[in-house]
Amino acid sequence: MFDLSLSLIEGNLFLKYNHHHCCLDYHRFTITMPNTEPEEATRENRESNDGSFECNICLDTAKDAVVSMCGHLFCWPCLYQWLETKPQRQVCPVCKALISRDKVTPIYGRGSSRRDPRDTLPPRPPGQRTEPEPHPSTSFPGFGFGDGGFHMSFGIGAFPFGYFSSTIFNFSDNRPAPSPSNPDYLEDALLSKMFFFVAMILLFYLLVA
Amino acid sequence: MASMQKRLQRELKSIQTEPPPGVSINQNSVGSSLTQWIVDMEGASGTLYEGEKFQLQFKFSSKYPFDSPEVTFIGPNIPIHPHVYSNGHICLSILTEDWSPALSVQSVCLSIVSMLSSCTEKKRPPDNSLYVKTCSKNPKKTKWWYHDEKV
Ligand SMILES: [Zn+2]
Ligand SMILES: [Zn+2]
Repeated sequence: MFDLSLSLIEGNLFLKYNHHHCCLDYHRFTITMPNTEPEEATRENRESNDGSFECNICLDTAKDAVVSMCGHLFCWPCLYQWLETKPQRQVCPVCKALISRDKVTPIYGRGSSRRDPRDTLPPRPPGQRTEPEPHPSTSFPGFGFGDGGFHMSFGIGAFPFGYFSSTIFNFSDNRPAPSPSNPDYLEDALLSKMFFFVAMILLFYLLVA
Repeated sequence: MASMQKRLQRELKSIQTEPPPGVSINQNSVGSSLTQWIVDMEGASGTLYEGEKFQLQFKFSSKYPFDSPEVTFIGPNIPIHPHVYSNGHICLSILTEDWSPALSVQSVCLSIVSMLSSCTEKKRPPDNSLYVKTCSKNPKKTKWWYHDEKV
């Protein structure tokens, strides 16, 4: 049994799932969608003592840190090793979102030492700041309808309505406007329509019930 | 090897300071190399396993945490559960194909506790006798077919 719920509240995407028996609560992982300006994100590199700058793999303070599109922090060497372990199925160790070398962002703290990059590992990928936000169809594998043993439930909160507005109207903000011939665009359009349709059904249901 | 031991050291510390409910590390079982642990587990109250005591054995390869630990029930009391074979092997996807290095001894223990707690009928897997006769000693060598996860 796979339970997944998603909700979008004020630009934060809350993802929660129970996988098989494993009742790990993924609720605490909040993914901030890139509605905020990227500049802000880099400048907001303040020292906070939340203890939350530990690598999700070695459990130590992240060295040569990179962050995935889904917001999870790792040492680059740790993540690299994981990606090498399962080259055919590269998913985030924490939330199982699709992940790849090109889709992680290095984090440079103030005064972070220029580490000697002469290890056998490839250097961290370069920073990139114009990437579109992760799309549900790519970042949440298995987030499908009627897909085998998956069961999806809508979380409370603004989902799905908040979600539509961002999916339908924010193309130009968040992603380089895709050309209509681009398969991504078609997929987006299809998904938007699907979500819109579900929203209408929900709305109708709420009105009737 | 060093990174594996460092991580296990951290896990050991955290599980000792804040053990999950019903779970404790058997101190004597942990050797200096940390490659094998025994965890004592108690059936949660209000479940079919209330009052029962179990032992789980964890074996870590040098590739841990990239490689999943080998986890089996050992000792005189193997829980009678539709996903636990009488030889102690556990059919749980996070122990093989769904393993992730972000999981830990602690999260594996919690998963197993919750797997036991959600059980509604004490019985062995339907293929128990055949499996126990034919399986490898290492449950990780089994190509598991995950049962319907409703139990
Ligand atoms: Zn690390
Ligand atoms: Zn993630």
